[in-house]
Amino acid sequence: MTFIISILTGALLSIVISINGFLGQAVGDYTSSIIIHLFGLITMILLVLIKKENFKDLKKIPLYMYSAGLIGVFTVVTNSLTITKLGVSLTIALGLLGQSLLSIFIDHFGLLSIPKNPFNRKKCIGLVLMSLGLVIMTIY
Amino acid sequence: MLYLLLAILGGASVVLARVINYNLAEKIGLVQGTFFNYVFGLIGSIFIVLVTHNTIFISSATLMSIPWWAYLGGIGGVIIVTLSSFLSAKMSAFYLSLFMFIGQLIAGMIIDYFLVHSLSPLKCVGILLVFLGLVYNLSLDKKSSSSPTASAQEV
Repeated sequence: MTFIISILTGALLSIVISINGFLGQAVGDYTSSIIIHLFGLITMILLVLIKKENFKDLKKIPLYMYSAGLIGVFTVVTNSLTITKLGVSLTIALGLLGQSLLSIFIDHFGLLSIPKNPFNRKKCIGLVLMSLGLVIMTIY
Repeated sequence: MLYLLLAILGGASVVLARVINYNLAEKIGLVQGTFFNYVFGLIGSIFIVLVTHNTIFISSATLMSIPWWAYLGGIGGVIIVTLSSFLSAKMSAFYLSLFMFIGQLIAGMIIDYFLVHSLSPLKCVGILLVFLGLVYNLSLDKKSSSSPTASAQEV
């Protein structure tokens, strides 16, 4: 079941990226990032109010945990830069490489509360097959 | 080239942001986690525009031209961030990245099919290869008895 949800999340991501892409064409990439975050924040403020959330535990939380949003801005900026210089396909391919490398690294060492899942070398065969398939799908 | 490295880092940052947000959500809940993601995302975005354009003045003409469906992008992003945090608890970082990317490709294929009526046979070959590789790796996970991991239990 979670397998299906994760695939659907990826599908939704495609749609959102397209929508954001249109917006970026209209008002510029960085400005569109403001608009996207603003609309998202408005949605979240509504949700917080509706669910009557208590913001009680904030002081106990290490500062780095709030950095996800900032890192996301880094993602937007680098995507804008590399799409211009390298094109969409190469950006996607290299981006996926970066995602895979960090994911495998985090899984292997069990970093940041992710359960330790040591890398099994036999998986390289599967990885090669998947990479080949993904490359074909991305190019064609 | 520096840009090649930048693209790789960009991809890595997607995973890093997701995992850190998952940590935050574990502490304060999914709603608050996504909330703060957008708070700091907005602050960061404003900063970037200040740095690159030296102004946050968006002309009213520009504002008028924002189509209604742009708001859907905002809601969609909220759903994605929240689900990503939720799913990080349920599967390994690698599988989550992989399945989300597969979802992106499939959505692309479906959109292409309905919009442009094209279905590349090579893409189907590609999907088959991905499927074969995935099934093989999943079978390795099920066989490994070293530790019950999220990926072995799930999927």
